[in-house]
Amino acid sequence: MLSFLTAGSDFVTESLLKFAESTGIAGFFSSMGWGSVVMLGVACFLMYLAIRHKFEPLLLFTIAFGMLLTNLPGANLYHTELFAGGHVHWDIFVANAGLLDYLYLGVKLGIYPCLIFVGVGAMTDFGPLIANPKSFLLGAAAQIGIFVTFLGAFALGFSPAQAGSIGIIGGADGPTAIYLTSMLAPELLGPIAVAAYSYMALVPVIQPPIMRALTSEKERKIRMSTLRPVSKLERILFPLVIAVIISLLLPSAAPLIGCLMLGNLMKECGVVDRLSKTVQNELMNIVVIFLGLTVGATATAEAFLNVRTLGILVLGVLAFAMGTASGILLAKLMNCFCKEGNKINPLIGSAGVSAVPMAARVSQTEGQKADPGNYLLMHAMGPNVAGVVGSAVAAGILLSFLG
Amino acid sequence: MKMLIVADWGWSEMLWVALISVCLVFFMLVLLVGVMKLFGYAFTVRQAAAPATAPSGRVVVQGQVHEEEIAAIATALNIYRSAMHDRESEVLTILSIKRAYSPWNSKIHGLTQMPDRK
Repeated sequence: MLSFLTAGSDFVTESLLKFAESTGIAGFFSSMGWGSVVMLGVACFLMYLAIRHKFEPLLLFTIAFGMLLTNLPGANLYHTELFAGGHVHWDIFVANAGLLDYLYLGVKLGIYPCLIFVGVGAMTDFGPLIANPKSFLLGAAAQIGIFVTFLGAFALGFSPAQAGSIGIIGGADGPTAIYLTSMLAPELLGPIAVAAYSYMALVPVIQPPIMRALTSEKERKIRMSTLRPVSKLERILFPLVIAVIISLLLPSAAPLIGCLMLGNLMKECGVVDRLSKTVQNELMNIVVIFLGLTVGATATAEAFLNVRTLGILVLGVLAFAMGTASGILLAKLMNCFCKEGNKINPLIGSAGVSAVPMAARVSQTEGQKADPGNYLLMHAMGPNVAGVVGSAVAAGILLSFLG
Repeated sequence: MKMLIVADWGWSEMLWVALISVCLVFFMLVLLVGVMKLFGYAFTVRQAAAPATAPSGRVVVQGQVHEEEIAAIATALNIYRSAMHDRESEVLTILSIKRAYSPWNSKIHGLTQMPDRK
């Protein structure tokens, strides 16, 4: 009887120990356990920013929750080893994959960013850009930040592919940054997505000091001439022409530009309202949930807690600042060749860094500080949407060189 | 120059790629400026020619109303509608009114009684 009880107590102790080791709490005491605790703190901080301060809440909230799930020890929702080396390891995928691994396939295969671009296209009014095509130049100038940061990242020791992915943060376009990074440097996806969306939310903080430093009071007061009206036929032909030209010249940008223009054509043609509303709302919202969760899931302690992340955050701010500055400086340069009465307010140059429509709103606000009767919003929307096209083109170019 | 694999690129290759990329971005978008200018020219000419052949009366082409006109109309409507009422002082005052008791204005009879827990 005694031997039975002794053997039983050993069995119970062993079983309880085994159970305790299988819980997530035991994982906190493993070798990288402290990292999980720190990452849970980071996730909670990002969630606080999203909920309390409304920093890009739609994406930052879901990214933070994905980060929380992936860093819970033992949850096994996401496995980095299934995507090691930038490839999907199909041979071990089905046997080992968790929920977030399956959802992550949408990022890995470049599906989610393109679907989001369909929705973005359906919500974008290209009218100001069609009325004033010169805005394309401001959209192009604002992409200079991408390439300066590309060199800066290389100088800090990142590989060329990683440098390209970090540089694209300067495009201030979340889906584009995620698309390019998932193709070139998937190991940096978490930090780059967090940096891109955090800085996009901080556009009203980052841009105004640069805008004020690079423009004079007189320049900020420039009133721009009224935009010409744009006919419906022009609005319908615009997405078709852009999609065809860019896809022919730069096939690597075709998925992004093609989807952007598909969404826009749905909106402008006026005969597929149901589809247009679906891509603007239901489809977009569903994809945002999947994209945010899975991008957040890539931010594991091993991938996030290192000096490289700090470098990415610093380079991201520099990329934004460079893009803002180059847009403003080109607007000032263009003014040298414009007739009086046809001048460009340089404040709209900063809107060339996508971040639609936040960057355009910042131009409007800064313009009204100098002249309360000056309405720059519609003028700034031109470079703003040109920036979306420009950053997709820049991503396509980087992909064709580095991919 | 021999083409190296991307991982082996040095400063020379990186600088060239950055320079070429900037030029390509500008080339693409300048090309789009040209195409859109041509479009704009064609449509402006088309719009200018349209009223000459149209019957008498003002021709309204869709999308011809300027954003500023829309904003002006909206502002005018807003001012008109807000002028339909006197502007109030926006100071909230509560006057105490004493009325003789009646079961019709009794507070206790006007409220639903909360069930008592026994």
